[in-house]
Amino acid sequence: MQRKPTFLGLPLTYRTMIWFLAVYALLIVAVVAILFPVFWMASSSLKPQSELFARNLTMLPVNWSLENYRNVWLGTDFPIYFVNSFKVAAITTALSVAISIYAAYAIARIRFPGRYAYGLLLLVTQMFPHILLVIPMFIIMQRMGLLNTHAALIIAYTSFSLPFTIWMLRGFFEAIPQELEEAAAIDGASQLTAFHKVILPLAGPGLAAVTMFGFIRSWNEFLFALVFMQSHDLFTLPIGLASFQEEYTFRWDLLMAGAGIVTLPVLFFFLLMQRFIVQGLLGGAVKG
Amino acid sequence: MFLQRRVRFAYVLILPSLLMITLLSVVPIVEGVIVSVQNQNMLRGNPTAFVGLTHYLRALTDEPLFWPSLAKTLYWTAGSVAGAYLVALGLALLLNMEIWGRGLFRALFLIPWVIPDVCTALLWKWAYGDEFGVINFLLAKFGLIGSPITWLSNPNIAMPAVIVVQIWKLYPVMFITLLAALQNVPKELFEAATIDGANMGQRFRYVTFPAIRSTSIIITLLASIWTFQAFDIVYLLTGGGPAGATKILPTLVYDKAFWGSEMGYAAAIAMLMLVCLLVISVAYLLVYRSQAEAA
Repeated sequence: MQRKPTFLGLPLTYRTMIWFLAVYALLIVAVVAILFPVFWMASSSLKPQSELFARNLTMLPVNWSLENYRNVWLGTDFPIYFVNSFKVAAITTALSVAISIYAAYAIARIRFPGRYAYGLLLLVTQMFPHILLVIPMFIIMQRMGLLNTHAALIIAYTSFSLPFTIWMLRGFFEAIPQELEEAAAIDGASQLTAFHKVILPLAGPGLAAVTMFGFIRSWNEFLFALVFMQSHDLFTLPIGLASFQEEYTFRWDLLMAGAGIVTLPVLFFFLLMQRFIVQGLLGGAVKG
Repeated sequence: MFLQRRVRFAYVLILPSLLMITLLSVVPIVEGVIVSVQNQNMLRGNPTAFVGLTHYLRALTDEPLFWPSLAKTLYWTAGSVAGAYLVALGLALLLNMEIWGRGLFRALFLIPWVIPDVCTALLWKWAYGDEFGVINFLLAKFGLIGSPITWLSNPNIAMPAVIVVQIWKLYPVMFITLLAALQNVPKELFEAATIDGANMGQRFRYVTFPAIRSTSIIITLLASIWTFQAFDIVYLLTGGGPAGATKILPTLVYDKAFWGSEMGYAAAIAMLMLVCLLVISVAYLLVYRSQAEAA
């Protein structure tokens, strides 16, 4: 029997064609509505002040320029915030990934007593409200003389990112066939060598996704930076930008360019890695 | 012997993470309980003097701050989670079809999720502007409003306005989780239902929704937990104002701890928040279990 042409599992008729168009129309309306604020930030950041505060707003800049970005980068402390954020996020990510890969390997591959309790601890600590943790952690950091240092942020961020990096990596490791490792072990490699030489390279994309995701989370973090940091020259981007808002209340040209600078790196890396990040979060349950 | 060595090996591997998580998540909770029964007023008296349940009683009975703030937090949480779930479900249903460009749409719908909170707050604040905000401009242009709406400075409108921002921030995680659940529904079920003459509404009610019910419950629980304790968006958009209209519990705790120098009192309110979170979680899990038994 010859198969009729189908669409979405339905026979291809005028009715389904209209359906198809309706679905696309809905999707496009949704994308426009949802991404409009981001588009507006980008558009505003390229406009001169006279176009920002105009009776008649235009969707796209009439005379676009990178002047606002130049002013933020050269005229304010933004480069310092940028370097601070990068430093904190990079060290945090390196530390948490280095600790997590071994822990994730252990719960993915070794059945040890307490494995379930450990997994539960990872889940439960992720639920702890940060607003609850920030008060005692402020007191602890004060006692240790770490307030107003990047070390305080790095320690806090690492402890927050460990549970989810371990959780995500475990999923990626479990997806790798155990036979590969056993083969390496028979060849005389120790467990650790087998892990380093066989498993880690195979988990490459997953590892990259977890690294990226951890980096983005540290880069974006606001509350702990707000509470721990006092000196402007140690500020990270989120609190630097928030302090901007108080300093330059009506300078939306600078604020939008600043927001653009904070957003661009995370947006770029997220779009680059989003497939693997999503896969890691859902344990591979989402398809193309 | 080999097994024992492997188990020992596992303990060595998890030790660093276990230490860090315990020291930086479990110890602070304990420390938080201790702080909440101490004076901890940075400005006067012995900061570590034991005061028992004074702070808790003050929050629950004396000072009219906690209960109104809890009511606002529940409003904020329920509004945000319900709104985000509807947006997420709608988009997930649309993208569950095998259409061209699905991966692209999926990536685009996830963007609000990774925009840093500070930028989210700033760009919405700019869009919500009274005089030069683009939202008022567009509404006026299409003749929907006569005079500009003061989105963030009108006590009646501020809460819905910040909820919209939280929905924008929150829906992507729910969307991607629901989409994953939908993709695991066997296509044969739909075909069978269609052959049996079920219309679209019936297919959703009897085939799709039962298949994603447990995922829905878990993801709304998680979203409620996240939103109940969310601080950044409200703090940056309204600071709890105008006239306390958006003073949700996290902003109250922050103000008391770091502006009012009343760490002990703030810690007590934070502990009460944790109790509320536990109640929410238990309530959800009970609903989940009764649903599972009914099904």
